[in-house]
Amino acid sequence: MTFILKTHTGYADAALILNEISMKTPVSVLRLPRGPDPNSRGFDPNSPRFIALCPTTLSSSSSSGAVDEEEQRLRSDLRERFLRTLLLMTDKQVEFNMHEKVRVRARFGASDIDVLNFQVSGLETPLGVQKEALLRCQDVISCSFEL
Amino acid sequence: MAMRQTPLTCSGHTRPVVDLAFSGITPYGYFLISACKDGKPMLRQGDTGDWIGTFLGHKGAVWGATLNKEATKAATAAADFTAKVWDAVTGDEVLTLAHKHIVKSVNFTQDSNYLLTGGNDKVLRIYDLSKPEADPQEIAGHTSAIKKALWCNNDQQILSAADDKTIRLWDKNTQEAVHTLSFDASVTSMEYIPDGEIVVITYGRTIGFYNAHSLDLIKTVDAPASIHSASLHPEKDFFVAGGDDFKLYKYDYTTKEEMESYKGHFGPIHTVRFSPDGELYASGSEDGTLRLWQTAVGKTYGLWKCVLPEELSSENSEVLYCPPAEIKA
Repeated sequence: MTFILKTHTGYADAALILNEISMKTPVSVLRLPRGPDPNSRGFDPNSPRFIALCPTTLSSSSSSGAVDEEEQRLRSDLRERFLRTLLLMTDKQVEFNMHEKVRVRARFGASDIDVLNFQVSGLETPLGVQKEALLRCQDVISCSFEL
Repeated sequence: MAMRQTPLTCSGHTRPVVDLAFSGITPYGYFLISACKDGKPMLRQGDTGDWIGTFLGHKGAVWGATLNKEATKAATAAADFTAKVWDAVTGDEVLTLAHKHIVKSVNFTQDSNYLLTGGNDKVLRIYDLSKPEADPQEIAGHTSAIKKALWCNNDQQILSAADDKTIRLWDKNTQEAVHTLSFDASVTSMEYIPDGEIVVITYGRTIGFYNAHSLDLIKTVDAPASIHSASLHPEKDFFVAGGDDFKLYKYDYTTKEEMESYKGHFGPIHTVRFSPDGELYASGSEDGTLRLWQTAVGKTYGLWKCVLPEELSSENSEVLYCPPAEIKA
């Protein structure tokens, strides 16, 4: 099959246009934009912007920062005192004040990690002495012992 | 020599990109946030398109996203009936503002202290970000879902566009509609240019430019296809528009002449915005990508490098990535 391209004056113009299109160089790029990291949500804490705009937990010039730090320090102190008290209580005779006007004495053994139960021995109850027992901490109002 | 535009494609989203916004120019450059139907809005470096982070937390499509001027805060509007405020440096969620319906639009005031929201419950809400527990100020009036709500005129007034085919200008204090514009077709997008007090509105195939105080018409331009979004260059010499035919159009604002059109997206363009310095514009599409386009094609800026023909063929050009000379259909 033969195609005969019949043009008049248009042929020269078409050639010029074709030339222009092929001569137009696409703009070069240094690289492509970086895409998301599949393993993290980003916001790199080591970026200059993050470091400059986010105060670190150690330094804080604002007054609210100082108040938060003080509160945290107090919380840490109280927690430490509580844990030391539990340690001191071990193997001692402790009196527990509980709800419904229940007062019982027992030898304190240990607490579980979430302070939900206390393991005690020789629990003195109106029904007799329970050799081993667990006291539910949420029922305990206070406890006292001699150092 | 004539150069051909090389758009930079930013991938990462898995569903259509429906909104995007730039921050102002900060000491760390400027930034871009994209709202996506995949529910994961992303923050990118504005001049390169490099991904910085993804804001995780929304449980539905994100319809609107914005950054404050300093790019320290971000806000998003989603189909999960919430608007969220984020720390744009750490990516942490700062506030969740519950709404009664899909939220479509969010906008900060210049001082970042107030957030304006609008959505399918037809009510504009103003949240005082220093008192997030307090009830927002509510402005009712629209009879259909609000598509876009913007602060304007020094944050004293509010512009809102809704599916009731009206655009209303409200006074923030009196909560009254000062002006109303009615259209025959649904308004598809709205942009406010503070410097020059111009509002850019798109509807059907038309891009309209209005005075932001009086809502008087300045001019309209008709495009070859239905337009979803348009943006005016900061110097007001050009504007760009994109819509149903997947192409991006560039027009001369003064003469209204179409200067260029660019193919590249594989789906309708939903949003297009100029960067704060006017050097590039970004488009978001149904195809799930964001593309960055140069205003002055061939200029060295961001990742684009102006290369002379001799450099292109020399051995020193190994750092340059030259896109293959594709024949664009």
